Amino acid sequence: MADTKKKHWPLWAVIALVIFHIILFAGTGFAIFGNSAEVPDAFTEVKTSPSIYPDYIDVTAPANIAPLHFHIDHETDITDFVSRFTAGSETWTLGGEDVRPGLKKWHKMVKTALAADGKIAVEVFTKGNNGWQRYKPFCITISKDSIDPYISYRLISPSYVTYEDLTLNQRCLENFKESLIYGNMINSDEENGQCINCHHAQWYNPNRIQFHVRQYLGGTVIAYDGKVQKIDLKTDSTLSAGVYPTWHPRKPWIVYSTNSTGQSFHTRDVQKIEVQDTKSNLIFYDLENNTVTPITRDTMEFDCFPFWTPDGKYVYYVSAHWERRDTVQMDFELIKNYKDVQYNLYRIPFNEQTRTFGPRELIYDATARNRSVTLPRVSPDGRWLMFTEGKYGVFHIWHNDAELMLLDLAQAQPTTLTPVTRFTPDNIPDEMLPPMANNVVRENAADSLNEAMGQMHPLPAAIRYITELNSHDVESYHSWSSNGCWVIFSSRRDDGNFTRPFIAHHDGNGHFSRPFELPQDNPQYHRQFMRSYNIPEFLTGPVTVRPQDFATVVQKDAIKATLKMK
Amino acid sequence: MKKNNQSAKVTTTSLAEKAMGRSLIYWLVIIAILAIAGIRLVQQESELLLRAQELNLWLPTGLYWKTLMQYPGGAASWFATYLTQFFFYPWLGVAILCGLWLMICALLAWIYRLRGPWIALTVLVPLALLACFTQTGYWVYYQKLQGHLMVPTVGVLFATLSLAVQRLSDMFLPSRIARWLRLIWMGTVCIVGYPFFGAWALGATGLLCLPQREKETGAFNIRFSVLTVILAIILIAAVPQIYYQQLFEMTKRAYVYVAAMPSLRYGKDSFEQYRWAYYAIILAFLILFIASLLREGSALAGKLRPWMRLVLVLVLLCVAVFGVRATWYHDTNFQKELAMNRAIEELDWERVLTIARQPSDVKPTRQIVMYKNLALFRLGRAANEMFFYPEGAVQQNAPWRVRMTQIGGKLIYYHYGKENFCYRWCMEDGVEFGWKVETYKFMARTSILNHEWTVARKYLNLLKKTTFHRAWAEHYEKYLATPEAFDLEKLEASVKAEKPLLDEEGLKEFEPIMHLMTYPDRLDGDNTLVEMYLLQTFAKGNGDDPYFQEMTLLCALIMKDINLFWPRFMRFATMHPDLHMPLHYQEAAYLYGHLENKVDISHMPFDQNVRDTYARFMKFNEQCGPMSEEQKAVAFYPQFGNTFYYFYFLVRNQKTN
Repeated sequence: MADTKKKHWPLWAVIALVIFHIILFAGTGFAIFGNSAEVPDAFTEVKTSPSIYPDYIDVTAPANIAPLHFHIDHETDITDFVSRFTAGSETWTLGGEDVRPGLKKWHKMVKTALAADGKIAVEVFTKGNNGWQRYKPFCITISKDSIDPYISYRLISPSYVTYEDLTLNQRCLENFKESLIYGNMINSDEENGQCINCHHAQWYNPNRIQFHVRQYLGGTVIAYDGKVQKIDLKTDSTLSAGVYPTWHPRKPWIVYSTNSTGQSFHTRDVQKIEVQDTKSNLIFYDLENNTVTPITRDTMEFDCFPFWTPDGKYVYYVSAHWERRDTVQMDFELIKNYKDVQYNLYRIPFNEQTRTFGPRELIYDATARNRSVTLPRVSPDGRWLMFTEGKYGVFHIWHNDAELMLLDLAQAQPTTLTPVTRFTPDNIPDEMLPPMANNVVRENAADSLNEAMGQMHPLPAAIRYITELNSHDVESYHSWSSNGCWVIFSSRRDDGNFTRPFIAHHDGNGHFSRPFELPQDNPQYHRQFMRSYNIPEFLTGPVTVRPQDFATVVQKDAIKATLKMK
Repeated sequence: MKKNNQSAKVTTTSLAEKAMGRSLIYWLVIIAILAIAGIRLVQQESELLLRAQELNLWLPTGLYWKTLMQYPGGAASWFATYLTQFFFYPWLGVAILCGLWLMICALLAWIYRLRGPWIALTVLVPLALLACFTQTGYWVYYQKLQGHLMVPTVGVLFATLSLAVQRLSDMFLPSRIARWLRLIWMGTVCIVGYPFFGAWALGATGLLCLPQREKETGAFNIRFSVLTVILAIILIAAVPQIYYQQLFEMTKRAYVYVAAMPSLRYGKDSFEQYRWAYYAIILAFLILFIASLLREGSALAGKLRPWMRLVLVLVLLCVAVFGVRATWYHDTNFQKELAMNRAIEELDWERVLTIARQPSDVKPTRQIVMYKNLALFRLGRAANEMFFYPEGAVQQNAPWRVRMTQIGGKLIYYHYGKENFCYRWCMEDGVEFGWKVETYKFMARTSILNHEWTVARKYLNLLKKTTFHRAWAEHYEKYLATPEAFDLEKLEASVKAEKPLLDEEGLKEFEPIMHLMTYPDRLDGDNTLVEMYLLQTFAKGNGDDPYFQEMTLLCALIMKDINLFWPRFMRFATMHPDLHMPLHYQEAAYLYGHLENKVDISHMPFDQNVRDTYARFMKFNEQCGPMSEEQKAVAFYPQFGNTFYYFYFLVRNQKTN
């Protein structure tokens, strides 16, 4: 017979249960109440601003942005922290080195600020060996101009050839929620890797997006008003499948560049990678008829990064002229002379009725200034064109001299190409060199001479460096919000290696506020995060097609696009 | 009658227990087996354990947890990486491991109500786990599953604890309730456990569905057992699919059933031989289940006599021990590579050479040869001793092609001043195999040498969050305060002024590397061939730095490139007018002078032994005329194996990887 005597829980189990609950409640209590604090009665004033990360000092933020959580960087002797936020006549006090007001509190602050002067004043107090001190207060200006609620981006480690764990993500800017649009691991295995890239939506519409899948199960995935398909854009008469896309603002048409791209590695330079095209052209894709039509086919012109104007009348793009001298090792020749490949800004007119493009017009002769431009992006009102300028090449995310520039299209006129002579280590006259100059000296001398010659060409009046957005490091990809009031751009200003998105307010007249880094719930998130944000673009809402559904489409055979010549 | 039978049974059981001794003996057997396993792990695999924790990363951050939990079974990896870090002290890690194994044994004995010799069978599970552990070899570099060494232990522990909860409910609740609770618990383990423990939760579900005797009757409830099994099958089949559809957006559908299991695949190839240890875990559980059916008092137990049980247990234990021995990965070169790697990390160059000299019945890998050359160069003895060590190009003992970039290439690039390439391969490996302490350490140091202070701080801050590498990070963090120390001219000036900008350790580590970084930038690629890339770029390089210049000469020498050798040899002689020309340079110059007669060597002051050895070499060559090259390589080795002449003529096809 079984023992029917009532048994009790053993003592150790009861003790363990009690300890578990103590820890649980203590942890929850700390999380809820632990960050409240009191402003000290006495303190000394410090004349400098606090060192906070991300740097939100004197930035302008939209009313619908997620809370700007920040971390107070400090010396080891600092033992206590208090931050006071003031909007209108209300104040909020928070403790701890991680200043995280949270959504509810932040919304209250924003609402109060907007009802008053639109400013949230922030004071930071720290307690060290010498007692409490208060840093110079700073302000966060709240703009009434709202920002699109979502952004999409690719998360990629700044790696060289490997691409495990590559994702296209979307983030709600109004809170901290991030979700996946598509991740490559859902269709990858040890044998078959998959790269995903170049996501782009038609006029900020999350229901009309496209992205590419390369290598395994490759093709271009296009989601258009609920219909998702995978297209093979490669034809016998085009260089490659579509690469860098731009949607027509209204019609189901996409202009792509087609590229033959390679990359090589710097042996000493901390810029580390150089991505180069050895060929690139433009094509026109008609989604309704599934046809591809070449736009440009000149092998001596590297046409890249097209962007359709909001009125659909022009496609802006960049192009480099490259005449091959060595026909045997063309790729090697380009690698050797990578600094000589420089891109100008062009545009081609588009006739919507005939679906044809006109002759190209030079808009900015960057090569005359010994510069190279990339990524033209026109503001939704059609007035401003933002682009990135560096010294050479087209893949400026790896160029730490890359800066954002603004062209006022109201003033811009087509121009003509200035013939330029480039000095190279081989053609530099001996009299310009010190005796016994080695290759390094020759190369540096050629660089200096070319730079000096470039300086002789002034920057056109319609163009300016956006100094308020640029930093000492890389600024590269950028896009405008749908109302033109905000821009989001990639920068490596934090550490020179990992790309982070920054947002700035645009006043409509070509001026920008101090940019702020994409806020995160954990303010130190980006300091730990080992991936870069690639191609941040605004969306008016979330992409609703699930990653699993994209995965199913990707697993299917691609629909072959047909070639349609003009 | 029934009563009589029962009392007879009790008497038989007592006698059997007396005959076989108390359970304590079997616990001692288990403890002894685990202790031996632990001692052998520490003795034989310390280098592997140390490397394993360097190739591991555990961070107490939300981001780290979130990153792992993107995939089903992320919690198994989280616990496993947490435990792996304790191999920083191999004895500590092994003690924890053995402790966990002992705990598993104890729980299993309790769960399956094992008595007498059957208790000893619980050690079969740890032995299977040990086999999973010790078969690792080069997988330590190639496994993508984070915490792969400890994941099986964590997974089995999870399954065992799940069973223990079930046993508790069986103990304290009436069968009628416990039966239904068992179903609920099984469902909970599968549904809640799967996202955290992946396939291990499915395994636990499988174990939970095995039929159990009713407490009251001691018999099986067949109908309920069938229901349980059917439900378990449905759960195991459906739960991963539901999670695939609803939650895990980064896992391939085909992999949902093996989530948190090591892939044991590389490229196109799947290596089935490594799977046996994992099957052995399942087998061990099945044996324990069967043993539980045979426990004293059961109807089946009567059919096995006590001595038969003992023999059966002994046989099973012996098979398991031999299985572990058979799968235990032993490879001299692997061990040497690990030991040399650690010695280099500790900048103990003499120890690197001591390890290189250790006798071995196999030729060395290129990795070993390169480590040895690096140590000799750092000690300034390469040109005199480089050929005194065995040459070889044996492939690493793994069934796939091991690439140097993925094992020791980063260390080699780091010390040869190819910081961008070291950083590159860290990044590539981090992306492909996950971030590790080792990659962060290299990335921090290369960033310091490249004057990228902020990103260096990022990696150091991440390392400071680890349990055991904080001190390392703090040590290197202090170099961020003296950026001028990483300007070679300023550093040399400070050393000259006897006010060095770097401390002794910093000088020892960084200064030689900074000398080797004195080359201009260009675009390049190594095509994953570390040795070939280094030889090519150094041999064709040109520099004013004496340290760098000697490296160009050494590489020209190793490449046997006469045209590159002479200008570098002459430059070396000019740069070091007071230096007695090192042996191997003399040998090369003497040989090339005779081979080509392009350079007049008649006035060069060669050592007499260089001339004599050359003469003897040529004479011996004449004597061995009809021999094949392979035969000559063997015949010449005792006399001339340590000369450049031998290297030039008889060491060929050293295929690098």
